[in-house]
Amino acid sequence: MFKIRYSLDCELDNGITDIKPPQELNVQVRNLVLKAKKGGVLTKGDIVAEHPSSMLGAHHVASCGKVTAVNYHSLTVKCSGEEDTVEPVDVRSMNAGAELLRTLRGLGVDVSQLSGKAETLVINGLNPEPGVSVAQQILRDGREELHEGLCLARELISPARTFLAVSQGETITLPGAETVGLRARYPYSLDPLVVRAVTGKEFPEHTRVIDVMALYALGRVALTGLPVTDTIMTISGRNYRVPIGTTINHLLNVLNIKVESGDTVVLGGPFRGEAIYSLYDGVKKGDYGLFVTSSKAIPAVQDAACINCGECVLQCPARVQPHLISRCVEYELFDQAEKYGLNSCFECGLCAFNCFARRPLLQYIRFAKTQLRTKAEATQA
Amino acid sequence: MIHPIIKAMSDNPVRLVVSPPPHWRSGRTIQGMMRAHLLALVPAAIMAVAIYGVQAAAVIGMAGTAAVAAEVVCLRLQHRDVNVDNFSAFYAGVLFAFLLPATAPWWLAAIGGVVTIALGRTVFGGFGCNPVCAPLVAWAVCRFSWPDAMDIDLNLAHFMANSPVDQLKYFGVQSLSQFEYMDLLTGHQIGGLGSSQVLALAAGGVYLIASRWTRLFIPVSFLAGVAGAAALFWFIDPTAYADPIFHLLAGSTVFGAFFLATDTASSPVGRLPQTVFGLLAGTMVIVIRVYGVYPDGVPFAIMVASLLSPLLDRLRPKFFGVR
Repeated sequence: MFKIRYSLDCELDNGITDIKPPQELNVQVRNLVLKAKKGGVLTKGDIVAEHPSSMLGAHHVASCGKVTAVNYHSLTVKCSGEEDTVEPVDVRSMNAGAELLRTLRGLGVDVSQLSGKAETLVINGLNPEPGVSVAQQILRDGREELHEGLCLARELISPARTFLAVSQGETITLPGAETVGLRARYPYSLDPLVVRAVTGKEFPEHTRVIDVMALYALGRVALTGLPVTDTIMTISGRNYRVPIGTTINHLLNVLNIKVESGDTVVLGGPFRGEAIYSLYDGVKKGDYGLFVTSSKAIPAVQDAACINCGECVLQCPARVQPHLISRCVEYELFDQAEKYGLNSCFECGLCAFNCFARRPLLQYIRFAKTQLRTKAEATQA
Repeated sequence: MIHPIIKAMSDNPVRLVVSPPPHWRSGRTIQGMMRAHLLALVPAAIMAVAIYGVQAAAVIGMAGTAAVAAEVVCLRLQHRDVNVDNFSAFYAGVLFAFLLPATAPWWLAAIGGVVTIALGRTVFGGFGCNPVCAPLVAWAVCRFSWPDAMDIDLNLAHFMANSPVDQLKYFGVQSLSQFEYMDLLTGHQIGGLGSSQVLALAAGGVYLIASRWTRLFIPVSFLAGVAGAAALFWFIDPTAYADPIFHLLAGSTVFGAFFLATDTASSPVGRLPQTVFGLLAGTMVIVIRVYGVYPDGVPFAIMVASLLSPLLDRLRPKFFGVR
């Protein structure tokens, strides 16, 4: 039986362990622009797909191999086991500007927080969710990459002040950043709350926030000149470097974790992560954890009516009204939902966590946001 | 025929359960909530039986059973899932019974239980949608329809004690010297069969707050409203108005604070709205007891405050990042 906790501090006993390379990769390409064809032979680091937006990074294959299947959901690569990589790009010699941003995007870096100037840069060094220790591990073991990433980020953003937010009591410093100790308790690890704790303002202008996982990935790209092809994940308390596209099945086999029918397997954290439906699903870029919970341990979500107990409102760190938002969204009144604070919500999930009626409140909120975004895009086009 | 959508890679032997985040939840359910609330009423029910005899248990049983039966019928008629196993209907029925005199005839308890569910909840959309506390709706209907059967002072005249709120209403503050506060506290006053068990109800209320099934804001501000408003009158003229401690102990003040005003559907949400709601309802109790025609103002005070809930809900802080 597991125990629910909010504390984000974890014990770190080991370094980052490499996962045994898988035989097959399933790279998720849903809603992406495909750049590889079935039957194509790829070298490690070759581009597989691009994101349609102008900010998010491209996707690359994590090992050499041949594309054996492609559908709307994923692209399967049979690995050949060769050690070749693509030609490295010398990122460090490039000057800050659109050219550098384009190169970084091409190497798989999300540049939405890196483009344009800002006054303040906040590095979020708190573990994102309970049970995930990736941020702590990177701050301890990834100093070289972090330093390099921070230099590059500062060059691009040229902030007047840079802050590093870490768990209270930690004595970690990064050159060029002022260290701020924060209470390591969920939901105070989420970007908007970290920014508020550091700057004293809610959603301030001219402020950028980057978490250490993203900064580490940026630093690795700058150091090696190779695209992002792996992610660091916490799996049963230890941190592993996992090639993107590794199937969950492979991870479970290598780490000897048993999964039975009826269990829930979650990519990401316990509050915000995504439950996968197939063990052949591949790990995505930015996934920071893998959890298996027995579905019997927690009462299931229900399509029940709200009883207006107010627990969600009392627990909400964004002071929004999830009970009214969810009632609106149930009847597709998305514009009405905005009046109850939909746009202030940063999706911590505490409303649904505490709901007595077990309503899927976070799901309703995300659904409403997606619907409104799609509608706005449709009117623009 | 609609063909099922086969998702990619879904043909695997291990069938995983998929659910929306968060994947950890507090584990609290409506069933657990109602069970805790019923548990909190047990001391008062025991005290009621000790003081009024087995007939009190019969009234509770009749009203609770009638409420559950009515809920089953109503849900069936609406073609909804019958979920009376969450105890919410039974709890509402028991709350109604607590307001009755212990001598209430079986048909009154039964009708009240049915009205609690049918008129108090179902017509507004069922559990969680009632604009005013459902047992109070039934209480009001019965109070106007069968005033003789509902009159506490009249029906319990053969008991040695008197009803403190009726004494205050009809004989003035001088008549209150017959009551010892200790007796009022331990339920040796006549009133609703459960709603006058002050100490037992307070114990149940404290249990609900300690186990966080109920939040502090409404009960505390309700009691503060009663005490504050009573203190105001008392300071003006102690010979014409009763003191605040009497108002806290007499009638169903404590029952209202912990069990009626905290009804989730009809009370507002949020710290400030709930506090204002409690203060308003508490103040209304004293206003009705001083100026109104009803001896015990609690039911009507809470109903009036409930109608203000939608307005009070607007007393919310600014959303995160909104300037």
